[in-house]
Amino acid sequence: MPNKENGVTRGVREPAVAGSDQPREIRIRVNGSWRSFRLESDLSPATTLSYVLREKLGFTGLKVSCDEGACGACTVIQDGKAVLSCMVLAVEADGRDVTTIEGLPADDPVVQAFAEQSEPGYGTAMQCGYCTPGFVMTARALLNDNPSPTLSEIKDALAGNICRCGCYAGIAQAVLRASAKIAAGRSAS
Amino acid sequence: MSQAYKPRVPRKFVGGYRPKIDGPDKASGRALYADDMTIKSRFPDMLYAKILRSPYPNARIRKFDLSKAEALPGVVSIMTYEDPEFKSLKLTNAGWTDCVDTVSWDRMMFQFRDRRVLGEYACWVGDEMGIAVAAETEEIADEALGLIDIDWETSPFVLDPLEAMKKGAPLVHPDIQETNVLAPDPTGGPDVFEDRGDVEEDFKRAEFVVEGESVFHNATQGSMDNWCCLMQWKADQLTVWSNHYAADQLRMHIKEMLGLPLHKIRAIASYVGGQFGRGDTGDQPFFLVTSLLAMRTGRPVKYRHTRHQSFLNTRQPAIYTFKAGAKRDGTITSLHFKSIGNVGAYADLSMFALKFVPKELAEVFMAHIPNLRMESYGVYTNVIPGCMMRGVGNSQFNLVFAHVMDAVAERLGMDPIDLCIKNFAHEWEKLPSESLVAVLNEGAERLGWKDKRHLPGKGRAYDGVKRRGVGFSCHPSWHAEWQEKRRGKVQVNLTLNPDCTVLLNAATIEVGGGSNTCNVLGCAEALGFLGIGVEDIHWTSITDTNDGIKDCVQTDSAVSFLQAEVMIDSAKELKLRLREAGAEILNVKASDIDIVEGEVIVASRPDLRMTVKQMLHKGDNAPITVAKSRSPDVALTGVPFFANFAEVEVDTSTGKVDVLRLVVVNDCGTVMYASGAESQQIGGQCMGMGEALTEEIIYDKATGIPLNFNWVDYTIPTMADMPDIDPVLLEVWKGTGEYGACGIGEGTVSCTPGAILNAIYNAIGVRVNDIPIKPEKILKALGKD
Repeated sequence: MPNKENGVTRGVREPAVAGSDQPREIRIRVNGSWRSFRLESDLSPATTLSYVLREKLGFTGLKVSCDEGACGACTVIQDGKAVLSCMVLAVEADGRDVTTIEGLPADDPVVQAFAEQSEPGYGTAMQCGYCTPGFVMTARALLNDNPSPTLSEIKDALAGNICRCGCYAGIAQAVLRASAKIAAGRSAS
Repeated sequence: MSQAYKPRVPRKFVGGYRPKIDGPDKASGRALYADDMTIKSRFPDMLYAKILRSPYPNARIRKFDLSKAEALPGVVSIMTYEDPEFKSLKLTNAGWTDCVDTVSWDRMMFQFRDRRVLGEYACWVGDEMGIAVAAETEEIADEALGLIDIDWETSPFVLDPLEAMKKGAPLVHPDIQETNVLAPDPTGGPDVFEDRGDVEEDFKRAEFVVEGESVFHNATQGSMDNWCCLMQWKADQLTVWSNHYAADQLRMHIKEMLGLPLHKIRAIASYVGGQFGRGDTGDQPFFLVTSLLAMRTGRPVKYRHTRHQSFLNTRQPAIYTFKAGAKRDGTITSLHFKSIGNVGAYADLSMFALKFVPKELAEVFMAHIPNLRMESYGVYTNVIPGCMMRGVGNSQFNLVFAHVMDAVAERLGMDPIDLCIKNFAHEWEKLPSESLVAVLNEGAERLGWKDKRHLPGKGRAYDGVKRRGVGFSCHPSWHAEWQEKRRGKVQVNLTLNPDCTVLLNAATIEVGGGSNTCNVLGCAEALGFLGIGVEDIHWTSITDTNDGIKDCVQTDSAVSFLQAEVMIDSAKELKLRLREAGAEILNVKASDIDIVEGEVIVASRPDLRMTVKQMLHKGDNAPITVAKSRSPDVALTGVPFFANFAEVEVDTSTGKVDVLRLVVVNDCGTVMYASGAESQQIGGQCMGMGEALTEEIIYDKATGIPLNFNWVDYTIPTMADMPDIDPVLLEVWKGTGEYGACGIGEGTVSCTPGAILNAIYNAIGVRVNDIPIKPEKILKALGKD
């Protein structure tokens, strides 16, 4: 998605700031803090958001597995929507608000529900766990929009994420449980 | 919802339904994998390696010119096959062991030494070969490879194993073999590796003879955690961070190939993002290439495959033919299996799948078939090499087995469940096998087999064009303790702190199978006398060869019980050591002391009753460490069975198959961790269903170029594809030891394709025996293509 505010279009090399030899600087609000980068050294207009988040900022929760938008392991939330950070350029995220899994509170109901999943008949919500942060963030974005999804809506929302261990039954249960936790939290407050 | 399983022996910790111990780390993104431990900000002077991958299926570099690549800013070092570091390396393969044992070069399990490390020739499109670059960024390394002028000598190639067997076919390894057919090897045995009774005579006498064929194509492991390693050469010490799953073996491979002593090699691993049998026990040549680049540059060098490059090996595709002889009463009197395996560019562990596993099945499954002949031929071709993949050999064999029993039962007019029960069991038990009867009956009941099954193609139509059918397959498990002999000693170190908490070092690389949870549960169970809980036990995801114990390699879910069995011995010794410590601290006889539920009880001095913690705090507060190891108990107990049942709906107008329901039943011996075991059962269906219906590597036949090394065109099932799955855990069989468990995780994939194929046959009445069954194959079978 092009960032209209900054007039940046994917794949187009941005000229240096007019009248300056300084490399362009971009600012991204990551987990509540503004972070600035100059497009120099290993950063360029072609650098992906996933690279900046992992390699420069150390937010290694998101994983880069396919690096071409096919698996969902790199999912983060940008301005409230789940996005694949391997498919977003860092320059596109300029001025945006990005939440990685590290930005979720420790008692986030989705994180808790994924960790707790274990009842008979569905297995756990992860085995190797490599895809898990991507599923958690996709599920988090879904529940932000639709706090009480049906199983069919969950399957639809999470069908872009691959879990090679195949824990889909446990993941779906975890999202349902997270939904119930959110509802319980609302009624309690 | 499935019913919870009922344990044979109720235990406090082992066997329950509970969250994974690594669930909080994994769900929050805190769990660190190799790629996370080796990020740029942790190794600021890190270089990135890239290795040339062949654009041709059968080619050799005549000469090359590095000058443009070397002139590219950011390129630090380029190494080639002409460098003495590589020229001096021995020939190797990527399949030294069956993954569990640490072996030296001269003792590799299958001695097909057909790989060069950075050799000048390539045997498939994608072969890592010839030239490697270390640069400041991955992009620069890639660009440098593109700037190298290479004069290629290309040769004719062959992709199909049947073509490759013909006289005059292009040779894949002309410098090693004059034919593409692999020669018999000492481990795999002769081409006809099982020849019991006289099948030919029996076919003449048999009341029924049934023949057929099944073809298994080349699914790939598809672990999400792309292969990755970082090599650091510092003060004559090579340190490896990697997502291998066998640290001790990796260390040995480097020692054997590079000649470093073991104490100068340190292999570290943490969580690994899925394993599924991919051959990363350290014998992949890229570990050595990256090591030599690190040694050459003196800087840490990271090598990580892209997703495309992670398509590095597959399950061995195989064409199986069979002939079966049977009596009218349902007794199978003879079976003849012949397989032709496409081993691809390198032999690796192909003969494990083609001979070693079927040979074992002759005794653990077909022991009561009087006439049995099995033969196999592995054939080199210029495609991606086959290697270990979850269900190695068993999945391929089960596909043809499912076909045989379904076809024979149909000819005899029998229910195939009755046919299986009448004929199949392991060598050490009488027919019928209690375990096989249990898994088949349970699966049949859960699926509604008797109500849903009809004559092939004779069920009613749904929506006019859709047909439903049911099918099953069954198989013996293959990770009972006696089958783990090759591992050698299973080691566990256990330390009791003076505050009665425990440090558990049951070294194993956590690839997702849940053995870490099993180990902690096993530890808490064994240390019941301390009255501690799971929260009192520290487990680490880090496996480090400098800890001085061999990691127990995760194959199947065997680690789930192997280390827990050792902990029984650890607990006995710890109790003894605690009583000795108590004798010293309390000044009484050790024999006078008992420890129950965390309390110290002195028979002669009831006044001295106190907690273990209180007692230890009165002493020197030194931790007590117990190091125990045990070779697997090789008493021949046979194996338990498992079975999968499937219900499908086939749209006869489009050829599309929808799997409506899967039931997977495992006799586990003992369930070590129920939620984890069910997760394995459910997850295995996903991989098995992918192999049955969608997963296949496709080549351009004109160029040998693989066309779908990505997850858009190589289609792995997603949440939207998966049906309801009913996981069923049973405890019928029992092996040796306290738990007498058996691995189940690997096998859960193996019967799924056979069950789905039989269900499709039941639905449409025409057999498609060639997986993956894509819609065009169904339409062709129905005469609608």
